[in-house]
Amino acid sequence: MTKIIKNDNIARLLEQLAEDAEVWAPRELAGTGTAIFERWQNGVAVDLEHITSISAKDVVLPRTEKLFDFNYAFGDPVPGENIEIVAAVTAPATVLFGARACDAKALTVLDALFDNPESESYNDPNYQARRRALTVITLACTTADAACFCSSFGEGPAGKAGSDLILYPLEGGYLAEAVTARGESILDAATRFFEESNAEPPQLAETATVEGLDGLQQQLPAIFKDLDFWNEITATCISCGFCSHGCPTCYCFNIHDEMSGDRKGERLRSWDACMFYVYTQEASGHNPRPTQAHRYRNRINHKFSYYPVNQGETLCTGCGRCIRGCPTNLDIREVLRAAKARAVETELMADGGKAETDK
Amino acid sequence: MTTIAQAGRKSTEPLRPEPATVLEVIQETPNIRTLRLAFDDPSVMEAFSFLPGQIGQLSVLGAGESTFAISSAPSGSGSFEFSIMKAGVVTGAIHELAAGDRTAVRAPMGCGFPTDEWKGKNIVLVAGGIGMAPLRSLLFHLLDNRGDYGELTLVYGARTPADLCYEAGRADWQQRSGLDFTATIDAACEGWDGCVGLVPNVLEERGPSPENSVAVTCGPPIMIRFTLQSLSKMGFREEQIYTTLERRMKCGIGICGRCNLGPKYVCTDGPVFSLQELRELPEEL
Ligand SMILES: Cc1cc2nc3c(=O)[nH]c(=O)nc-3n(C[C@H](O)[C@H](O)[C@H](O)COP(=O)(O)OP(=O)(O)OC[C@H]3O[C@@H](n4cnc5c(N)ncnc54)[C@H](O)[C@@H]3O)c2cc1C
Ligand code: SF4
Ligand code: SF4
Ligand code: FES
Repeated sequence: MTKIIKNDNIARLLEQLAEDAEVWAPRELAGTGTAIFERWQNGVAVDLEHITSISAKDVVLPRTEKLFDFNYAFGDPVPGENIEIVAAVTAPATVLFGARACDAKALTVLDALFDNPESESYNDPNYQARRRALTVITLACTTADAACFCSSFGEGPAGKAGSDLILYPLEGGYLAEAVTARGESILDAATRFFEESNAEPPQLAETATVEGLDGLQQQLPAIFKDLDFWNEITATCISCGFCSHGCPTCYCFNIHDEMSGDRKGERLRSWDACMFYVYTQEASGHNPRPTQAHRYRNRINHKFSYYPVNQGETLCTGCGRCIRGCPTNLDIREVLRAAKARAVETELMADGGKAETDK
Repeated sequence: MTTIAQAGRKSTEPLRPEPATVLEVIQETPNIRTLRLAFDDPSVMEAFSFLPGQIGQLSVLGAGESTFAISSAPSGSGSFEFSIMKAGVVTGAIHELAAGDRTAVRAPMGCGFPTDEWKGKNIVLVAGGIGMAPLRSLLFHLLDNRGDYGELTLVYGARTPADLCYEAGRADWQQRSGLDFTATIDAACEGWDGCVGLVPNVLEERGPSPENSVAVTCGPPIMIRFTLQSLSKMGFREEQIYTTLERRMKCGIGICGRCNLGPKYVCTDGPVFSLQELRELPEEL
């Protein structure tokens, strides 16, 4: 089903959606040429031009969220007093407005891990509750910037994966196409903002691709031990973790307790990143990933080898956020190309060696 | 590849621990204590079972939670034990607990030793320091099912006599028939008339045969490294050797991403691995 919504009606649509749901939408950070996703409020202008610096993942995986409350503190002077552990999953109906195809696709990637009823071990009540209460309205991209490479991973700038409704920019408005029943119900419920139309979708953006990533999953192990390569790649990296925090598919988290009074507290989980030194540091002081080279190697392997092995999907949607946001200009596309070339070289050398000894 | 036995913890809220009470605290060494615990909810306690080698997360609410091997007999008796070395914030808080104090536990997690596959074999256990904790549970299981296994050998080492855990257990193991138990310390000292020497050397002296045997080792990384060399010298092949690994952990259910070794997670695919499995994973220990 497709309909048209005029620019003027966008704010009114958001108002109506906000009557029954939390609405998240991009807001421009004034003067920065970038935007962030935020809880939308009446009167706030949405920015449908700039891609957000940080992805929309905190709609389903908040930066910090409560796992449960407890009412017992260490050193409680009343032995035998009951511990109470109260789970804290609350998930109001939520609409994510103005996600890009790379954001929506990332949700389906995370679903495999956090909301997978078929799996025995992976199931996350907080994620499940939020995800199932979420409606995604995606904005197809008609322009791409220098860091976009979503076409490397399938459907590209108007991919439907993860979206309930897609908006294609037109002159003066948007062509709205329902992808799921939820998307259709928005078109049905908000009829006064949508008009019947037989307009054609506009010309979509062309994004750069990283060619020949196909064999990477099998090839990365060949250069795992090549620390010279990883050292060269990460020479400038300062382990700031932005590449992970901005990324729509990075999901690593930490768990910690916070007290709010003598006998009360909460257990929280927060975003973490394998780019940080302490991430794998053990209590003995030993650290299996002591340098940037070790840590970035893990990040790349997790995204392009381990996750594909375990879940059959690449843990990257080509959104380019890690490229735009890295303070030292590390470009994951160049890393992938270099890794590919180095792996091929290494395999050739290994083969050459074999051929030598076979003689 | 060997299949490792798994008794899953299925929960709709896998990150939420179950309230438990400390029944007893045993000071094992100057910095290791064993806590005997029971879940507060009797139906949870009754349904609780685990395999030797499986792990759990013990919380001191307010301080946090940490991962430990379950060190008691898997046959269970209304309680279970962790043996905890003081290492930092959470373990420091755990060391302040006394009988009657309330905690919270998530267990069991991970995969245990494949004891069913080992039936009919001789078993060699090689432990150092706190590395005895998971092997103690395994040893209890082997002794409780004595008829299912062949000769048992245990070499357990610590720096000094004061650093050896499980005093009562050691006295019992010394008496058991079919168990060749040697406790050893690094250097001779007054009041110790037992074996003196590093674990791998003592293991070679005891000389258990690799014929129809498996060897299980757990301890500090350096001890494991030399023990593996000794085992290999003695003729043990990689598929006959098992170890349990340590990694910094948070979720314990394979989602926080912290404990991976290549595509495997120590918290769900391990902590028990055969040496053969480890060889197939990226070297990142
Ligand atoms: C499978 C497995 C089995 C184990 N079995 C046992 C056992 O049977 N017995 C036993 O005694 N131990 C065992 N351990 C080790 C035990 O889990 C650790 O010693 C324990 O977790 C240390 O916790 P802690 O809170 O006291 O240390 P912490 O104080 O948390 O310190 C741990 C590490 O984290 C770092 N750190 C501190 N604060 C932070 C922060 N805010 N953010 C990030 N990093 C931080 C520290 O620098 C240190 O390297 C096992 C571990 C594993 C993985
Ligand atoms: S790795 Fe970079 S390009 Fe890929 S999804 Fe994450 S932030 Fe986007
Ligand atoms: S954003 Fe750049 S500098 Fe920061 S951790 Fe990632 S690669 Fe390193
Ligand atoms: S502890 Fe979270 S993945 Fe293993």
